[in-house]
Amino acid sequence: MRITKSRTRPFSVTPQLEPGAPSDLELMKAIQAEDPDALSQLYDRYNGILKALILRVIHNEAEADDLLQEIFMEIWNQAKNFSSQKGKPLGWMVTLARRRAIDGLRKKQAYARAEERLQNETEQQPDAWVHNSTEEEIVLSDTRSLIRKVISGLPPAQQEAIDLAFFRGMSQREIAAKTNTPLGTVKTRLELGLKKIYDGLKELKGEL
Amino acid sequence: MNFKEFQNQSRLYVIGALETEELEEFEKARKKFGKKAEDYIGECYGLHEAFALSLRPAKSSDAIKDRLMTMVRARKEA
Repeated sequence: MRITKSRTRPFSVTPQLEPGAPSDLELMKAIQAEDPDALSQLYDRYNGILKALILRVIHNEAEADDLLQEIFMEIWNQAKNFSSQKGKPLGWMVTLARRRAIDGLRKKQAYARAEERLQNETEQQPDAWVHNSTEEEIVLSDTRSLIRKVISGLPPAQQEAIDLAFFRGMSQREIAAKTNTPLGTVKTRLELGLKKIYDGLKELKGEL
Repeated sequence: MNFKEFQNQSRLYVIGALETEELEEFEKARKKFGKKAEDYIGECYGLHEAFALSLRPAKSSDAIKDRLMTMVRARKEA
């Protein structure tokens, strides 16, 4: 993996790359030109992040691996639809992966099973925003810790509402039902929490 | 809906948390604010990136990449 960590560079949500390494955008352009090596590099760079995201949604290692493969295949097939004017490659990939993971969860009608697993995991690991730690994972830790600092500054109820909306694909009504909270309160929690995260990230990196 | 309210709604929109009845009003405002609205929504999608990067990367098996690259090369040659 070519991602390096640096304490001296200005904060960026996007992980820092080694000097000379192709940017994500360069890799995407190469994938659009059907260069398999570019996809291979993009996979090496982001498979861990995307798998963590998928696992956070579906809570099943084998299904997450299958979905990860499908998502990178979709990245290859849909690369022509990526436009740098609409955002960064990582944002596009994350959006795609999240949608596929939530769709997968719904299609397999795995809500009940995931619910049970999530419940068990939450009891075992109170820090619900972090799951699936791996021994070898060191790179990206600076970026992650800065983002997590912003997120963890939120009241737990706001974190929970955002977690359920983003990682579980729940609507405000579903969150209200699950947390036994009035709908208006859920909306306020989401609005306040997302604004704080958005503003916090902007402060950290100048622009989101 | 003024632009500040639109900004609030945009952050909910990008994470799919707007309710159906809110979506209709949001789309009207989106049209009204035009490029300014599209630019802001684009910025909000950065939240997706940030949420993903807040997680610890998870290890996947080498076999997954091998299978993927075999499929990709086969598709390219087809």
